[in-house]
Amino acid sequence: MMDRRDFLTKSAIAAATGLMSVLPGMQRDAHAQIPRIKMRELYNKDLSFSDFAKAHEEQTILVEGFMAPPLKAESSFFVLTKRPLAVCPFCETDAEWPDDILAIYTKRILKVIPFNQKIVVKGRLALGSFKDPETGFVSRVRVVNASYERF
Amino acid sequence: MKKSFLTFAAVLMSSTVAFADGHMPQKSNEWYKNAQTALKERMAVQPITKRAKNVIILIADGNGVGTNYATRVYQGQTMGKLGEEHVLAHENFPHLGLVKTYNVNAQTPDSAGTGTAMHSGVKTKAGVIGVDESLNRGDCSQVEGAKVATIAELLTKQGKSVGVISTARLTHATPASAYAHSADRNFEDNSKLPEGCTQKDIATQLMDAMKAGTVDVAFGGGRRHFIPKAMKDQEGKSGKRTDDKNLIKELEAAGARYVWNEESFKALDLKSDKPIIGLFESSHMKYEHDRAGEPSLAQMTEAAIKALQGNEKGFFLSIEAGRVDHANHDGNAHRVVTDGIAFAQAVAKAADLTSPEDTLIIVTADHEHAIAFNGYCGRGNPITGICMGIDKNGVKYSDKPQTGKDGKPYTVIGYLNGAGSVLREDMNWVGARGDITMEQATDPDYTQQALIPRSSETHSGEDVAVYARGPWAHLLNGTIEQNYIFNVMMHAANAK
Repeated sequence: MMDRRDFLTKSAIAAATGLMSVLPGMQRDAHAQIPRIKMRELYNKDLSFSDFAKAHEEQTILVEGFMAPPLKAESSFFVLTKRPLAVCPFCETDAEWPDDILAIYTKRILKVIPFNQKIVVKGRLALGSFKDPETGFVSRVRVVNASYERF
Repeated sequence: MKKSFLTFAAVLMSSTVAFADGHMPQKSNEWYKNAQTALKERMAVQPITKRAKNVIILIADGNGVGTNYATRVYQGQTMGKLGEEHVLAHENFPHLGLVKTYNVNAQTPDSAGTGTAMHSGVKTKAGVIGVDESLNRGDCSQVEGAKVATIAELLTKQGKSVGVISTARLTHATPASAYAHSADRNFEDNSKLPEGCTQKDIATQLMDAMKAGTVDVAFGGGRRHFIPKAMKDQEGKSGKRTDDKNLIKELEAAGARYVWNEESFKALDLKSDKPIIGLFESSHMKYEHDRAGEPSLAQMTEAAIKALQGNEKGFFLSIEAGRVDHANHDGNAHRVVTDGIAFAQAVAKAADLTSPEDTLIIVTADHEHAIAFNGYCGRGNPITGICMGIDKNGVKYSDKPQTGKDGKPYTVIGYLNGAGSVLREDMNWVGARGDITMEQATDPDYTQQALIPRSSETHSGEDVAVYARGPWAHLLNGTIEQNYIFNVMMHAANAK
């Protein structure tokens, strides 16, 4: 019998050795027809939405990135960044969000993944300005009803 | 064995005899001929001992010898060369030294202490700006007693104009050290000043310097530190000031011109002698890789030189490529080298627009990072990519990646610490490297592998280089203390 600790350890080892660790709700076979992109493919250089983003609004996508340390515990919201959100205590007094982030609203209360572990998020792409009534976080683009797995 | 030795010795002796007449078969070799040309060029270099009308210092933040090497190879490769043989603009300068960068209380320096060393001539503590080491970081009450004069203040008194440029915020450590005095580098606007602190914040000090004529041209980021918290800027971002002051408006009221994007920047009349402040981002300007709608470092350098050249008494210009450092902190080698190229292009522009006969140009860095280079990679190996083997029968790298004992490829560039750590928090800090392909490693957003887990990769205390041309540039050689650079600049500007 495998206890929870064993399962998590083995999942992590599998991810670290390049194997996909499959989390509930995400079966690899189901991804075959879903477009998989890097975060930067949602934006043009001037931060306007890319043609891909506009063409896939309200559609299910897979997007790669990193989970920024969540703003609060027991949340179903986190920010996806295209590179690990490194904060230099010597250089900055405040943690700052990059301009090109993606707000993720998950199906379930999220399980935190370390900020420097690449993940793939699956969910519905939503465009347009939105202010989260709970956190006050304003986003221009989101993936909602999302699940995620380690890359 | 004895027989083999004797045979080898005999071959060696016959070779020695063959070349005893001075015959050198390598004289037709291209490497030899190129070195002969370089030798003649070096022999022709003469010190220039006139007074320097103009002094320009270009600082690439975090661009130590290793980081500069990565940019050299990368720029060469973008030009279709193998890369290693490439020469960056500043590497053409005739004079070179190595710089010891430590702060008085830090083996690993920070940009505030190093900037103060270069702009004011004294080493000081980490984190403080324009003050000596008697001040304890953060103690505003000690600022007046610990102030040291900046080169901007000193050369303004001689009638020269002054410019400050950075791709970081203009209130950030390196550019601030050209004009400000602060007990802490973080006092960028009034909201960061401790209660009861009588020192002016850094943005206010820049405004005062521009009103006083100590700074005439300033280009960079950091708009948020000049406007109130309740106000949004032209790009919809809020200010940081809690004193309701709009320093941009105050500067405009005092006669300065304000530009905030590429369009307004390009419309500047550079023949006018009215001060200019360009604030192109709320925080830092964009990395060169991501840049859109704002000028490049080379464009800002060109505009500043043209605006300052109107002063017949000359100018001082401090230029910082602030984000080479930030990309290193992120462990993202791609943006390190692309911002490194933008820096080299700014150096080339400064060299093109001035004469070594009257302008001292100094190119350096404030400190290095915990960056390192793996081996043994073949010639022409993509510098941000994985390390491919050496082709023993050819020149260009082989098609076989080098692998570690774990059987996996590794990148040429690695970091001793940072976000790319292979030690994993979710595995109780046990390490396991993932597989990497050349395509993954050369992706612009790739984070190079690192050892020690840290949110942000660190500086290192390793030496940086200083390159120089123009009057008294020959004084920059050997291994020097960083504050000596200021003394050379002042000597050149005051030489009889």
